[in-house]
Amino acid sequence: MLDALGTLARLGLAAVWLISGVVKISDTGQTYIAVKAYDALPSSLVGPVATAMPLLELVLGVFLLVGLGTRLVAVASGLLLLVLIAAIAQSWARGLSIDCGCFGGGGQVSAGQTQYPQEIARDTGFLLLAVWLLVRPQTPFSLDGWLGWGRGNSVALPDDYSGESYSEGN
Amino acid sequence: MRRQQQVAASRAVAKARGGDQKKIIAVVIGVALLAAAVIGGVLWTNASKNATAGQTIPVATTSQATAAGVVESRQGVVVVAGKPGAKATIDIYADFLCPICGEFQKQYGTQIEQQINAGTLQVRYHMVPLLNTRSAPEGYSMDSANAALAAADAGKFTAFHDSLFANQPQEGKRGYSKAQLIKLGQDLGITNPAFAQTINAGTYDQQINAAFDQTLKDPNLQQNVGQGASFGTPTVAVGGKAIQLTQGWLDQVIAKSQG
Repeated sequence: MLDALGTLARLGLAAVWLISGVVKISDTGQTYIAVKAYDALPSSLVGPVATAMPLLELVLGVFLLVGLGTRLVAVASGLLLLVLIAAIAQSWARGLSIDCGCFGGGGQVSAGQTQYPQEIARDTGFLLLAVWLLVRPQTPFSLDGWLGWGRGNSVALPDDYSGESYSEGN
Repeated sequence: MRRQQQVAASRAVAKARGGDQKKIIAVVIGVALLAAAVIGGVLWTNASKNATAGQTIPVATTSQATAAGVVESRQGVVVVAGKPGAKATIDIYADFLCPICGEFQKQYGTQIEQQINAGTLQVRYHMVPLLNTRSAPEGYSMDSANAALAAADAGKFTAFHDSLFANQPQEGKRGYSKAQLIKLGQDLGITNPAFAQTINAGTYDQQINAAFDQTLKDPNLQQNVGQGASFGTPTVAVGGKAIQLTQGWLDQVIAKSQG
């Protein structure tokens, strides 16, 4: 049961990052405008952040999808989500009228069209997935499992230990 | 027997380690490929953002040749195009960076120029730097607006205007540099050195901004988009009042003026 929930959390968060990453990288101009609209970065950093954000999201998504370094990726995901939530919150607090551009779009919107509470609630939901994976990173169908990571000892004795010893005895 | 078992056990451990090593190598290769993809992504993104760099802006071939008798004149920061005596007059507010303005031009540009050539329509073109911060680097809206006025001074406004819209840079990306705007004017046959000087100096920038401030404040130019009235581009105004761009709007404007 916990395994199933963990796998759902991992694949769910992977889907979040992959989808938002693909949408962002397929419209780099819009992503630049979205980052700029937060008005939180010096203009020399807007471009690099707009370039890095979708790629970082895609990398996190791929790692989660294959289940490699799940705990570390969960930490990175959580930190990124905290940064995004903080960015949305500061826009809200300062009275900016922007769309978060979380899944494409973004930039200025008219005053009545902001959706700050919904955006923060959604990102908090994603944050819960990351926290789950941080606490319990072991999931089935993951590279971590295949590599024997996350089961305590990374070099476990093979199951057929005794059988092999007899076959080799002479 | 006991010693043999120990040897076998250590072999098994070594074998397991060897298997782990292969797995780790496979994972490292995977991660390296991913890293290469990221570097590729950075290069691709930068290339796409700077797609307009080093380009020569092509001269638009779709635009109507301006008919004999059509007068293009700059009045302040408004360019008026039409034959003397044209009965209908519209004001068009547009930004060379605004994607919907590009759509508007694609959809109605030819019709508008046909009416101008027919002597039925006079158009007052307002270049609006609404999206001046939305190119990277900033400033394309203003530079292109100023350059279009310089082109009007040289009598090449319509061709310049149409070429910029036909090859519109994307919002959020690099626009065209002043040098590229100058080159376009030269390709259109502008030889007066004042053209390049006007573009480089940003001669009309202040006037464009002053007019833009007035435009933003004008309640007659505001329209309801979503919540609350606000000014947006493109806006078409008749008699100083913004109109809806519903099907056949241009014909209706012409018909009314003939009436």
